[in-house]
Amino acid sequence: MKKILAFLLAALMVVGLFAGCAPADNDDTTKAPDSTTAPEGETTQGGDSTEPTETPALSADDIPDEMTSEDGKYQIAFVTDVGQLKDKSFNQGTFDGVKLYAAEAGKSYKYYQPAGGNEATDDDRYDAMKLAADNGAEVVVCAGFMQEKALAKAAEEFPDVKFVFIDGWAMGRTNVAGINFQEEQCGYLAGYAAVKEGYTKLGFSGGGGGTNAACNRYGYGFVQGVDAAAKELGVKVEMNYSWLYGSNFSASNELQTMAAGWYQTGTEVIFACGGAMFQSISAAASAEDGAVIGVDVDQSYESPAVITSAMKGIGEAAMQALKAAETEESWNAFIGDGTTSITLGAKDNAVGLPTATWSLEGWSVEEYEAMLADIVAGKITIDNADVPEPASTENVTVNIVK
Amino acid sequence: MTFLIQQTLLYAVPLMIVALAGVFAERSGIINLALEGIMIFGAFIGVLFVHSMQNLEVFTTAAREGDWLTLQGLELLAMVVAAIMGAIFSLLLSFASINLRADQTIGGTALNLLAPALVLFLIRVLANQNTLQMQTGDAASWFMIKKSTFGVKKSVDWGFFGETFLNKVYIATYICIIIFIVLAIILYKTKFGLRLRSCGENPQAADSLGINVYKMRYIGTTISGALAGMGGFVYSLTTANCTANGDVAGFGFLALAVMIFGNWKPLNIAGASLLFGLFKCIAAAYSSIDINGDGVYWLAEIGISSHLYRMLPYLVTLVVLAFTSKKSRAPKAEGIPYDKGSR
Repeated sequence: MKKILAFLLAALMVVGLFAGCAPADNDDTTKAPDSTTAPEGETTQGGDSTEPTETPALSADDIPDEMTSEDGKYQIAFVTDVGQLKDKSFNQGTFDGVKLYAAEAGKSYKYYQPAGGNEATDDDRYDAMKLAADNGAEVVVCAGFMQEKALAKAAEEFPDVKFVFIDGWAMGRTNVAGINFQEEQCGYLAGYAAVKEGYTKLGFSGGGGGTNAACNRYGYGFVQGVDAAAKELGVKVEMNYSWLYGSNFSASNELQTMAAGWYQTGTEVIFACGGAMFQSISAAASAEDGAVIGVDVDQSYESPAVITSAMKGIGEAAMQALKAAETEESWNAFIGDGTTSITLGAKDNAVGLPTATWSLEGWSVEEYEAMLADIVAGKITIDNADVPEPASTENVTVNIVK
Repeated sequence: MTFLIQQTLLYAVPLMIVALAGVFAERSGIINLALEGIMIFGAFIGVLFVHSMQNLEVFTTAAREGDWLTLQGLELLAMVVAAIMGAIFSLLLSFASINLRADQTIGGTALNLLAPALVLFLIRVLANQNTLQMQTGDAASWFMIKKSTFGVKKSVDWGFFGETFLNKVYIATYICIIIFIVLAIILYKTKFGLRLRSCGENPQAADSLGINVYKMRYIGTTISGALAGMGGFVYSLTTANCTANGDVAGFGFLALAVMIFGNWKPLNIAGASLLFGLFKCIAAAYSSIDINGDGVYWLAEIGISSHLYRMLPYLVTLVVLAFTSKKSRAPKAEGIPYDKGSR
């Protein structure tokens, strides 16, 4: 009896040892690039793999995250930003676009999460890109501005591979498409909507610690929108503005306590601007009966506390870029000489609020669309400066929480 | 004030129950360094249980129709499951340190290394990502007891006591406090408790009086594992929105510190964890804490750097430990494998 028990325990320990190694395997999927032989026994990776061609392209959620290609090559690669793949926000939104395109075009795809998780280094990111290229990637979609250094290195080493730099900028290379968004526009719309809805005590909790240009634009646009609506309605608005606990875009108990504290002291709605930080904010909102504004994608499915979301078309941008990468001509037309970033905004229908799940009562979809048209027409100008700590205005008191 | 007490409890209760877990193991003579690992494992099991049970018809309808009793049942079940699996996980430590007489510190460290790796691996296999979350909704809307749970309007005032201890609370918090009290009484006021403690002080003497030291140590460590597993789930439920990611923010190690700080005595441990929870709460929310209810947030207004507030929990622990550690007295026989031959 004792011996059996000892054996079982030993076996469990050994399994545990291998368990320790396995995630790394899973992350980087060390597949040798000898592509001529179809790898055997790889058909059940992730448990739910299907050929992309067999999957009708209805919704991105119906397309499996992992698929197994017959020749062991993956034509389209996606390298994630910090945070997890399924963050229900930035990474997931971009990857949805990748999957949708791949399913439509019948191409093989694969995602790579740089080793090291939220503490990933440039080397980790470069390793992920190199692995993608070695696995036969024709296009590598990289999400997040933090990929810059790794991307520069990888783009130089693999001149035949096309790179799409979402939330990034042009690098002066003809194989890198830098795509960024006018986040200030949807931030503006969200802020305007919140004040129109009757909220006068707002909060902004952003990720990246004030160094992420996209989040800075969101936040500054948000303040401008709040200011515009407050002026129009003649109300005074107070706003808590914080970059705390957001440096790696993840949920934390400190963030939840801070948000709960805000709601407790009167804050009515918080703009959760940073991937999985949404988890903490929405948990606090549900507990304190507060409201949340989502970010990047329509997050109203996540929590009933969400009143609207400042969206940007990360998925569509990825799809557009991937489509452009099909032939050399369209790619060249898409990126030009590689020195100008591609900026998508209201004019490209790439930013906005979700109208399909509209729940605001103080501001109608028609009014929203009219304002969007004004932004497109340039009647409303929104400053897109990189301002991590916006100043207070006549109607809006911005309280920077440090 | 209400806010401060509630948030303090959220931080203090998992610490308290896990520190008590440490007491049970150490009082029986086994150093349980694996508290962190067991917490991680327990948190994972509890969240996994909730995650997989959420789809059941009975719970989805309960969530939709606001049948809060059923949901509390799910929460309690998850706590029980986390406790059971925590206890099983801790058997690895008991077996290694009691039967095989391995070094307990190293055994515990091994479990601490094993747990996050195993949990992350399983989460990746199960959910294809690094964090296991609830399938729908969030912890607060499913499990928190609020005024709206009983159909009472938000504007109704329940008085200080009601607002603080009945509104916006988790039942898990109170279950933990009750378990804490019951176990503390068992440890000090029953025959079993005396025997358990004797095994941690002088196992040879205990053995000479016919107490089975091995059995007692197994029981002590198993109770410890169950408490730590449950504490891990309670931590993830109340402060991490019911998510598991192979990490409990070092609460297991903090619990060890709290246990030493509390001198292996339940009452002191409760005090120590409340103190730590209080400062942890101040660190995160000092700018919105209104202590006497006059609308002045003086913690924010006296102009002390926020970094200082964030240091406070650790500073206070350091200072208090420096003053109290002279009197600190660990169970005498802890860490020494019991050998009948050396009697």
